[in-house]
Amino acid sequence: MSVEVKNITKKFGSFTALDNVSLKVESGELVALLGPSGSGKTTLLRTIAGLEFPDNPGEAQVLFYGEDVTQIPASERKAGFAFQHYALFRHMSVFENIAFGLRVRPRSTRPPEADIRARVDKLLKLIQLEPMAKRFPSQLSGGQRQRVALARALAVEPKVLLLDEPFGALDAKVRKELRRWLRQLHDEIHVTTLFVTHDQEEALEVSDRVAILRAGKIEQIGTPEEIYDKPASPFVYDFLGNVNLFSGRVKDGAMVIGGAEFAAPDVAGEPDSEAVAFVRPHDIRVTRQPGGPALTAQVIRSNAAGPVANLELKRLDSGELFAVQLTKELFQELSPKPGEHVFVELKNVRIFGDDYSI
Amino acid sequence: MAKPLSRSKKIRVLPGFKLTLGFTLFYLGLIVLIPLAAVFWKTSTLTWPQFWHTITMPTAMASYRLTFGASFLAALVNAFFGLIVAWVLVRYEFVGKKLVDALVDLPFALPTAVAGITLAALYSKNGWVGQLLEPLGIKAANTQLGIFIALTFIGLPFIVRTVQPILEDLDPELEEAASSLGANRWQVFWRVILPMLTPALLTGFALAFARALGEYGSVIFIAGNIPMKTQITPVVIMGELDMFDYGKATALAVVMLVVSFVLLLTINVLQWWTNRYNTTSLA
Repeated sequence: MSVEVKNITKKFGSFTALDNVSLKVESGELVALLGPSGSGKTTLLRTIAGLEFPDNPGEAQVLFYGEDVTQIPASERKAGFAFQHYALFRHMSVFENIAFGLRVRPRSTRPPEADIRARVDKLLKLIQLEPMAKRFPSQLSGGQRQRVALARALAVEPKVLLLDEPFGALDAKVRKELRRWLRQLHDEIHVTTLFVTHDQEEALEVSDRVAILRAGKIEQIGTPEEIYDKPASPFVYDFLGNVNLFSGRVKDGAMVIGGAEFAAPDVAGEPDSEAVAFVRPHDIRVTRQPGGPALTAQVIRSNAAGPVANLELKRLDSGELFAVQLTKELFQELSPKPGEHVFVELKNVRIFGDDYSI
Repeated sequence: MAKPLSRSKKIRVLPGFKLTLGFTLFYLGLIVLIPLAAVFWKTSTLTWPQFWHTITMPTAMASYRLTFGASFLAALVNAFFGLIVAWVLVRYEFVGKKLVDALVDLPFALPTAVAGITLAALYSKNGWVGQLLEPLGIKAANTQLGIFIALTFIGLPFIVRTVQPILEDLDPELEEAASSLGANRWQVFWRVILPMLTPALLTGFALAFARALGEYGSVIFIAGNIPMKTQITPVVIMGELDMFDYGKATALAVVMLVVSFVLLLTINVLQWWTNRYNTTSLA
């Protein structure tokens, strides 16, 4: 059982928002759509909700648990949608906002008033806003408003919950709280959920699987570990964290950078050529005594504020700059001074075949 | 060296509060309050029994009913059709939209006497519209219907121009949210859009109503001014003035003033009530 889209193409004028996209979300799964702005993630979400319609109705399909809803309007799809700016009804109390989806049902399927009250009270409890039932949205904080918007979407018992940058308009602290809360909520009620974000940390922390979009296509989809540890492309690698580029040469199936040879499974058996290696700042070891192959670099700057220490180094051979992250302890042990020379060892070196510039 | 600020002086970001407030009060006093006070002062030349007799004479009573009734009805009809005009102008793109938009302001710009003569000519027995209504047994000229038509004409822009900007600013996400929750188009309009427009509609209604109450020029030509039937209060007042009976004229004016003020105040309270959700206080 799943929520599925097949071959969706959507253009706005000459801009292609979605280019033949297919995606399957298993029942009860929490999937993040991650990508930069303009990558089509919101358009995909709106297409699933029925707020946009694909340009290729013949081939495109939106399936909710096997039922084809491609041509069905939003009001009949039963997809709960939460907007970045909440879109709460200003003139209704919190209670009435949540009850809205039940009150607009045709008389034959509308629950009696007592049931509506019971359901809304239960949702108010779930979002921990019971004392706020009579307030208007303007009297709530941003985080509270978004929780009301979620409860409103959940009230109709949606087949799928769609969240469009749900925490995008909130400040950093509330955002972290709320995404942890969302994960807990999902573990409680197991509603199939898709949420759009441009924050990779959010996507990796909250979701069961992450789909990374780029220019209207899904670049990679997988569990957070999979996509973080095995990015399929330099784009994904770059999008999921900070990255250093080391230019060097592939020689005998290994990567040679600054005279030192580093293991690189990506180029095992490849012919010799120029190449660029991708290395994360925390995969770089800085020492005063080389314990293996190492290149030499000069310390430019160091900053130990925050949970980890950051170093900026310059390769002595090519003059390229790169960044390193160290634990506080290693940093204190090393206590690098600007201008000093150090040895640098690289781990988890990745090389991607196609040309890609960051 | 900078002068130290005296401690008693409160620092304001926006300067000129006292000057502008003083000017506002002076201006309102000169332009609005003094003439209004003069109305009450002039009325006080009558004794209480005279005053009471004047304001309750049958022609006056009939004229109140007509003036307030027709103005209220006209404002009501305008609220409905004005909303549709505003809706069309905001929501749809069509050829000549700019022209239609400009036409809405015409009742503002046209001298009311011109409007009155034009309407009278159109709705008279031989007029373009009047001759079509005649076979149906509908008479507009020299009837209360004519007055209603004239008041509707002059009130339209008030509704359109107050509702239009609110409708333009209405977030489409609200409608999308409502329909994703299962609401059909009619429910979206009735439960989401209309309540958001109500404060603006009430403002427009109040303006159109107030304007209609004081309207004179466009009404007198089409109304026929038959006492007890098609005589609006301003015409009754003019009648008294023509006989140099200033006391009686101002007595009737006082009634108009007080009732209008109470009605407008009521609408304001209603408007505040429908807009109460726009508070930002975190109690």
